[in-house]
Amino acid sequence: MAVNRRIFVSGTVATLAAPAILPRRAFAQDKVVRFTMAQDFTRIYTFVTSEYSQGQRDYFTLINERGGVAGYKILAEVSDHANDLPRAIEAYERGKREGAVLCDPLSTPVARALVPRALEDKINLITAFSGRSDAADGTVFPYVLPLSINYWTQAGLILDYFRQQEKGDLKGKKIVFVHIDTPFGKEPLPILQVLSQKLSFELLPFPYTPPGNDQSAIWPQVRRARPDYVIFWGAGVGQTVALTEAIRNGLPMNKVSSSVWLSESDMEVVGKDAAKGVMKVEPCASGRDPKPIKDILAEVVGKGKGAGPEGKVGTAYYNYGVQMAALMVEGVRKAAEKAPNGPVTGPWLNEGLTAIANFTADGLLPPTTITKEDHQGGGQGRISRWDGAKFVPATDWFAANQDIVWGEIRKYSEEFKKTGK
Amino acid sequence: MDFLLIAELALSGVFVGLMYALVSLGIVLIYKTSGIVNLAQGGVAMTGGYVTWAIAAGLGAPMWIAILLALVVMFFAGMMVERLALRRMIGQPVIMTIMLTLGIEIMLRGLMPGVFGAAVKRLDIGIPQSPVFVGEMLINRATLIGGGISLALIVVSLLFFNSRYGVVMRAVADDQTASWSVGIRVERAIAVAWGLGAVAATAAGVLWGATQGVDWSLSLLLVKALAIAILGGLDSIPGVLVAGLIVGVAESLATGILDPLVGGGTRDIVASAIILLTLLLKPHGLFGREHIERV
Amino acid sequence: MFYRRTGIRHTRYEQERQLFPLHFDRLLILLVLFLLLAAPLVLDRFYLAGYLLPWLIWSSAALGLNLLMGGAGQIHLGYGAVMAIGAYGSVHLVRAGVPLEIAMIAGGLLSAAIGMLFGAAALRVKGIYLAMATLAMQYIVDFVISQTPAISGGTLATLQVPPVRFLGISLRGDTETYYFALGVCIVITLFMLNVGRTSFGRALAAVREKDYAAQILGVSTFKYKLLAFWVSSFIGGAVGSVLAVCYLRAISPDQFHIELSIQILAMVIVGGLGSVLGPFFGAALILFAPIVLNNLMGFAASSLGINIPIDLRAHLPLVAYGALVIGFLLYEPLGLAKIYGNIRNYLLVWPFRHAQR
Repeated sequence: MAVNRRIFVSGTVATLAAPAILPRRAFAQDKVVRFTMAQDFTRIYTFVTSEYSQGQRDYFTLINERGGVAGYKILAEVSDHANDLPRAIEAYERGKREGAVLCDPLSTPVARALVPRALEDKINLITAFSGRSDAADGTVFPYVLPLSINYWTQAGLILDYFRQQEKGDLKGKKIVFVHIDTPFGKEPLPILQVLSQKLSFELLPFPYTPPGNDQSAIWPQVRRARPDYVIFWGAGVGQTVALTEAIRNGLPMNKVSSSVWLSESDMEVVGKDAAKGVMKVEPCASGRDPKPIKDILAEVVGKGKGAGPEGKVGTAYYNYGVQMAALMVEGVRKAAEKAPNGPVTGPWLNEGLTAIANFTADGLLPPTTITKEDHQGGGQGRISRWDGAKFVPATDWFAANQDIVWGEIRKYSEEFKKTGK
Repeated sequence: MDFLLIAELALSGVFVGLMYALVSLGIVLIYKTSGIVNLAQGGVAMTGGYVTWAIAAGLGAPMWIAILLALVVMFFAGMMVERLALRRMIGQPVIMTIMLTLGIEIMLRGLMPGVFGAAVKRLDIGIPQSPVFVGEMLINRATLIGGGISLALIVVSLLFFNSRYGVVMRAVADDQTASWSVGIRVERAIAVAWGLGAVAATAAGVLWGATQGVDWSLSLLLVKALAIAILGGLDSIPGVLVAGLIVGVAESLATGILDPLVGGGTRDIVASAIILLTLLLKPHGLFGREHIERV
Repeated sequence: MFYRRTGIRHTRYEQERQLFPLHFDRLLILLVLFLLLAAPLVLDRFYLAGYLLPWLIWSSAALGLNLLMGGAGQIHLGYGAVMAIGAYGSVHLVRAGVPLEIAMIAGGLLSAAIGMLFGAAALRVKGIYLAMATLAMQYIVDFVISQTPAISGGTLATLQVPPVRFLGISLRGDTETYYFALGVCIVITLFMLNVGRTSFGRALAAVREKDYAAQILGVSTFKYKLLAFWVSSFIGGAVGSVLAVCYLRAISPDQFHIELSIQILAMVIVGGLGSVLGPFFGAALILFAPIVLNNLMGFAASSLGINIPIDLRAHLPLVAYGALVIGFLLYEPLGLAKIYGNIRNYLLVWPFRHAQR
């Protein structure tokens, strides 16, 4: 087919004009809670978003198939914002206009731009594993809810596990921190420095250039430093490259740990057997054993209503998605308990979300309690190890070094308070 | 400063630099014949990685057949790009071709993950992971082999320019109108250059994909490749080789020596600084030919 | 029929030199201006903050780049970095208590000063080499901003924009920020409309056509290349501060990466190189085509029951973005402004088509 100028131009015009002509969707149900799930499927967060979103949608399908929660159905509008602010803000404003009471952008830059808007509009902004770590302080950020352990907590958990491994004493040990050279990568540094003073171990940070597809010059240095433990801190491609290089440089895998950003597909890329023993922080259980995942497999995927390939069900990032969805649904349940007849607004849902107490989603999550002060949920997580086929928990759910973490959180939230208002 | 560490970093830089040089080989091949800098080279490398993965995983072909098939597919894909898009741009200002290749890059960035899935794909070309030790010094086996393959391919392309068709392409590079008048099919020579450029990119995509997995970030190879191409001179293949070594070693050493001083990853900035310094001091690179402009 | 030329008789030079000699054009512009001014009173906040505001800001930025690329023929792949300098400069000043009026201009001046350095490369190289040099500078500016905690704002690398006032009006609500951005956009547009009629604009055009020839004619290429970069960077910096204050409200380094540069470049190219109208069209198309397509896909998936895999669905807007750029370059290299020109020419004599030319 020869495309000429006229076809090209008129085709473009037709595509752009189409939405104006198409009829708008009718909203039949009146008891609906709308969520805006504008996430980054295409630019930076590609490694996590499709699995994360699949988990969320499957869980919402599960709830809706069962008739909703307290009479409310969940309507999640999934779209792509490509980490591009105009698109993200458009999606946010669109959601707001259509009555969405919650927005989950899963992107740090987008979350940063949305924080002032969400605080003004009283829309619950979920910033799981992204956004500002100091948003855990609910007194300053009433409508920004991480609902999950932030990076400071994760660093605290990893170090505490190392301490347990060394029978409570890290004195004189050498811990290497290989991190992506972005704000996200540098974030745990203050916590690590404080802890290195307190536990008197030696901390050696090595930054690599984002996104980390070439770290060949970093790992020889790590090897030469002869570390007792290595923490690698990145996301997506940086993680697999870090692990590959660590293996190629002959570092012992059972002394290497990552943050929450390590998944089965990463291990597949690295090589399942080669990476045996590597550690990660788990914010929720992985695998298909937890009850919500089993339910999804039986009631959603089994009936052909799954949102994506079945093979992805139960992977780490999929479960993160289910975790966040479960917390959101629990928030709706609590909100409906407090005010059964709504009206469904941001503050209504916020009341519910901040009333979540000791919620475990039948064993998927650590006991999570969200209060008006603590939006992090208690700071519990666990360390697990890759055994060649799956991540096996090495510890029980535990919280560690929360005093230091909260010191850091308050320091930054105070700062925000001063300049924000 | 640890002398051994520096030696080790320099050595790893040599091999990594060679692997980068493979990407810029394509840029140089295309610029040499058609005078267009292909800013989609990173995207083409990514496409090559995806195609190889798709053939290996989708058809279940053994890896070496997959790679060979992918090279052939990408050769024709490169020719198609030239035929469908770039040929129409003859006579347009340079900004138009820059933007066009950027547009192709953006489109490939969307198309490949869209069709094949955004999650990182594993590409196992059978290079063992365990390190090689020479005395106290560690050599990364994967970069060693990758660098060796790149070197071989660059040498092959040097030899190619001494073959009969290579001479034809050199003639086109020299003067398109004159080649036309002696009966050379200029369009075809340019199309072949694009095909070969895509082949070089695919080889690089496979080598890098084996290290980092195949996903969109393969397209980021572009900046390094540009630095090498500019430093070596945009129309010189020996330049690619020399500049590849220089850039690789410089980046590697910068990571080892500068990073602790700056407290940040200086690796990317080395490429940018090399581009800038080359352009300000010797715009046509180490081995590039100077163009004399007439009013 | 439309754009009527009958009855227009110039009796004085001023009349002939005016910007819009056609009465119809003037009416059209007044109409558009009226619509833009009335928008906050009529339109929902969603359209105001989601569409019109970014459109105005991105158009202003594209206008600034268009002066350099369409006006002076220089290639710039680092305009995002220039905007970043302006944004960071002005936000830091505002945080230090300097009024926005001054901070904005200071941010622009800072951008202009550093932007001149980009221009210094233009004195030495041109064409593709200039593109590479500006690309390298983009990366260097990114690096400096994100590596200097004093600039980027500490561990979290976010700078919150404090509440600001412009000429005594608080810029917090959507209406105020919209009018502010509109004002800046109008000022820049007026400047662009007029610059072609000044000796400066003509000198730029001479440099664009052939710099050696311009030098021989007595137009100092040294001076005008640097001036072109100066002016365009000043605009970029000022727009960067508008972007930070009105739209982003919290700036972090990743908002000004190479993607922004390429986006604005695409707006200029798709809109029409060298035209004043073009950037407005280009900005609208490049900003909103992905959004519209995204919503279309969402609609297709949820209402029509067309099941597209999420990966493909999410990536289609990106493919469309690339395809738009490629398509315009291949089929309409002069961009949307040229399409408008064609329509205008058609309507000029409609329905008496035979009278054309």
